This record gives sequence, structure tokens and C-alpha cells, in this order.
Amino acid sequence: MRVWKQHVREVELDNVYVWEWPVRITHWLNAISIWVLSVTGIYIGFPMLIAAGPASDHFLMGWARAIHFYAAIVFTLSVLSRILWMFMGNWYSRWHRLIPASKERIRAMGLTFRYYMFGMRMPPGFVGHNPLAGLTYAFVFLAFLVQIATGLAMYGASAHVDSPLRIFAGLLPFLGGAQMARWIHHVVMWAIWAFFVHHVYSAILMSQVEATATVESIFSGHKFVPREDIVKPGYRFEHPEA
Amino acid sequence: MKDRQSWFVEELERRGVSRRDFMGFCGVMASVLTLPRSAGARIANAIETKEKPTLVWLEFQDCAGNTESFLRAGRPTVADIVLDVLSVDYHETIMAAAGHQADEALASVVRDKPGEYLVVVEGSIPTGANGAYCTIGGRSALDIAREVCGGAAATIAIGTCAAFGGLPAASPNPTGALSVADAVPGVKNLINMPACPANAENLVGLIVYYLTFNRFPPMDSYRRPLFAYGKSIHDNCERRAHYDAGQYVEAWGDEGHRTGYCLYKMGCKGPVTFQNCPNVGWNSGTNWPIGCGHPCIGCAEADFWDKMTPFYSHIAGFPGFGVHTSIDRVGLWATAGVAAAFAAHGFVQLGKRYAHARADADNEAKPPPAKTPTDDSATEKGADA
Repeated sequence: MRVWKQHVREVELDNVYVWEWPVRITHWLNAISIWVLSVTGIYIGFPMLIAAGPASDHFLMGWARAIHFYAAIVFTLSVLSRILWMFMGNWYSRWHRLIPASKERIRAMGLTFRYYMFGMRMPPGFVGHNPLAGLTYAFVFLAFLVQIATGLAMYGASAHVDSPLRIFAGLLPFLGGAQMARWIHHVVMWAIWAFFVHHVYSAILMSQVEATATVESIFSGHKFVPREDIVKPGYRFEHPEA
Repeated sequence: MKDRQSWFVEELERRGVSRRDFMGFCGVMASVLTLPRSAGARIANAIETKEKPTLVWLEFQDCAGNTESFLRAGRPTVADIVLDVLSVDYHETIMAAAGHQADEALASVVRDKPGEYLVVVEGSIPTGANGAYCTIGGRSALDIAREVCGGAAATIAIGTCAAFGGLPAASPNPTGALSVADAVPGVKNLINMPACPANAENLVGLIVYYLTFNRFPPMDSYRRPLFAYGKSIHDNCERRAHYDAGQYVEAWGDEGHRTGYCLYKMGCKGPVTFQNCPNVGWNSGTNWPIGCGHPCIGCAEADFWDKMTPFYSHIAGFPGFGVHTSIDRVGLWATAGVAAAFAAHGFVQLGKRYAHARADADNEAKPPPAKTPTDDSATEKGADA
């Protein structure tokens, strides 16, 4: 047990196992595959390297595409596994930590936002995702699903006639055609990148301000949190001096 | 049947087409339809012996480009004859009848052969101003299409306008133009054959398939026959090896363009356009757009024009940033903007932290006051209560 200084008082910290191994593994598979998908995807969208000499000597775009497709398989399975885990895992990994379904979480969402706007000195304490972060992750998963759908639709349309992936070409009319699917695939990638910047910054910020081992928790699974955050999450701000 | 067969053979001979040429045509049709070569004999038998279906050809908001595509064949082909021996009872551009006679030709087909005839629709169907933008003999295109297509055995929407709305339906769509599928909801056995214009070989192939097997070929989710629209242009492109190798044209007339590199970076829509142009070609197989160094503009796809423009950009820009601004540039700047915003947040955070640390140090030095009115959280509490 460590001792934690919350501006004016000292509190005892409890060791909580927050992120189970499937959450951590899918998190890192997502992170790695998003990097690989983005690097190969940017090359596929804007091939800045031009190979010289006979075409038969090179396979630049061919490799970029192959790596992109294999990374896409990893990414898709990882995202689907994580979504499955939202219904199987522990309390902190469940879907209701992402979608704010209770009055308390909706209220605390506004307070978290106020904290980010420097309206409060300390964020409302939560052990797992705070409601604002949770909602952001809900949108991120939506973005992931859009990427998977547009990617599968484009792949399916050009897949071998006998390929079972061919069925995903049926999504194209709903996406507005293959060219529109391509456009969505680009825009959503940048949205995910904007999220990535926010994600890393906010994780480091929370790790610094709350000092509950936020960044470390995605490696170890453990957080060290004041007991009141477990007993009464989201209300730390109500009694800052108690 | 014997009589009919001899009539057909005679007709071929009269036009200088040998039986050998005819069998060759049937083999070509088998390959256009992506059937095994042995299907050629079955196709030949069907063309020679089957009763030819009656066909009417309706033109609405169109440029007659699809009609031209058939009529301007470079040399008389067996395909022309197949189209000739179809009983084409109504075709505004090429029929001899005019006025009431022409109207009667169409009316009699609809009246006397319900559920038996084929209808080819060319052009989109305007719905604005109660259909006043396109009327024939005083009747609106919508009215005619609903009646004629409603009683047909099958409707073939030929060209991008009839299949998807095409140019007339491009934004802002002043005439309220619709595709056949949208204008005649629930139309029976609709087959879309888009492209601007549609390839003559594909329509002939479709009719040959129908004559041979008495049904229509497998279709995709846009109701396009898979034999002609099952593969992207990109996947059958003769320049595909350059794409996979990473060899692209970067400017008109550069070394790559003259060498025949891939036109991907010049905005080629081949990867998102589904048609058999690379295999079948145009003008009796003489050439096709990419073959002569121009990128595909995606004329065979839904929402052609609105979604395929700008033609010489890989992808459309972001709304509000101009059509030629690369979406990836906008995305990169947006990501950089988010990073800058969070960096600014970080500096404010550090400043606040420093200020709080000093205030705490001062508080610890002094005896604790009864209240801490400077504490943000305390004022929060008041605001929340």
C-alpha cells in the first residue's frame, strides 16, 4: 500500500486489478496494427516511392497491400475480441463503462469536461474509464467498425469470385459506392489519429495528476487508487478537504 | 425449326459472315459471359433455333449515346445480326414509323404481349415539374416507364443514366432525375448495365445468355451482371503490374506516362469501377481509355460525376477545403491542430500546477485559514449545489 497526497491530505491507496489480460492484449494489438495499417495505408493512398526499372523487379505496392491486409486481419479480430469482452470481462471492461447509461455517469461526464477546461483542480475520480473517456472510446470503437466495414467492402468487391469475403461487397450501396468508401476510410483514419494524440496526452496527464498509475496500468493491469474512488466513484471533488 | 435455322444461316451468308465466323462469335460470347468454351456450341444452337423475344427500346433523358454505341460499330458483326433478328418493335432513333404509328407500335406490344417482351431503357427519368422535362407524345417519361416496364418480362437499364441516374441526376439534379430502379419501384427482373455508354458486347452477351439459358445471369448488389461487372477495372488492367511494382505516372507526359506506368496517382478510378473494359475493349476491341494513357473516370459507377469527380485526383477533398485539396493534407493538419491544442492544454496545466504548488507551500507556511475561497473545487461545490 502506497500513500498518496491529494493536495491537502494523505490517503491510502488500494491495488486494483483493472485491465484484464484480454483488454491489455487487444489494446496493444490495436495500437500496433493501427500503426502498421496507417503507414501502409498512407502509402497505398499516396504512393510517394516510385520504383525504377522493369516492373517485374519490384513489388512495392504489392507488399504494402499484403501487409495492410494481414494487419487488417489482426486489427479486425482484435477489435471484435475486445467488443466480445465488453460482455464477458470484469466491471471495468464492460460496455456500460463506455456508453454512459446512468445518471451519475452522465453528470460526471460534464464534470470531467469541466476539469479539462481547468474549471476544477482535480478530476472526478474513477477507477476505470471516466465517463468522458468511456464515451470517447465508444466513438473510437464506432470509428474502428467503420474502418473495418469500409475496408472489407472495398476488399470484398475485388476479392476472388469464390471468396467468402465477397459478401461484404454488398455493403457498398449503403456506403455510397467504393469511391465513397475510400473517402470514408481516409477521413476516419485521420479521426483515429487525432484521437491517438489526445489519448496519449490524456493518459500521461491523468497519470501525472491522479498519480494512480494510469499509463502503467495498460502494461500491468493494476491501478493504485484512493479507496473513496472505489466506494464512491466520481465524487472526489465534493469533499476535497475532508 | 429447320426453316428458321436455314433462314438464319442464309441471313449470315447474305451478309458475308461465314459459319466459321459465327461459331467464333459464339465462342467469344462464351468468354465474355465467363462461361467455359464448350458453352459456345450451346449458344450457337440457341441463337439459331430459339424464338427471338420482342424488344422495345425506350429513350428518356439521354444523349442516345448507348444507341450510338451499337449503331456505330466499325464493321458489320454477328452481334449486329443478333440485335437485328431480335424483334425490335420500337426504337425512337432507328425506327421508320413516326407519330401515331410509332405510338401504336409501342402500345400494341404492351397490349398484346404482356409479360413476354424485353424493354431496354436508356436515359434517366425526370420527376420534377410533374414529369414535364421529358414527354413523348404528351405522356411523361415516368408514366411511359411505369406502364411499359411494369408489363415487361425484364427491364434492361442501359447506360449509367438509366441504371443510376447518371449525368442528369448529378447535383443539383434540376429535373429530379431518377434511375429506372428508383422511378419504377418493384420493377420485375431489372438488370442494370451502366457505363457511359454501355459496351455493345455486354448487351449482346446479356441477350445471348437469356436466349441460351432462359434466365438472366448472376448479378451483384447493384443488379449488374457479374460477367461484365464482377471485376474492377484495376484487377484486370494491363498496367496492373506497374501498380503492384510501385511505378506511377506523376505528371502528364513524364517518363512514366510514356513508358505506360500505372495512372493511379493521376486519379484513375479503375480500382473502384467495375466493368470488363480491359478485357473487351472499345470500338471493336481497338483500344480503351487506360490503353491510350488516360485514367478511368469511373463512368460505370453509381453517382458517377458527383462522386467520381475530380477526375484527376485520387480522392475528393474535404467539404469546405476545395475539391482539389488533398484530404490527407487536411487530415494531417487536423491531427497537428489537435496536437497543438493538447500541447497548449499541457502548458496551461503545468502553469496551474506551479501556481497551486506555490499556494500550497504558502498555506503550509501560514496557519491554516478557516476557509479556502481560492480553491477551485470549493467553488465547484457551490456551483453544483
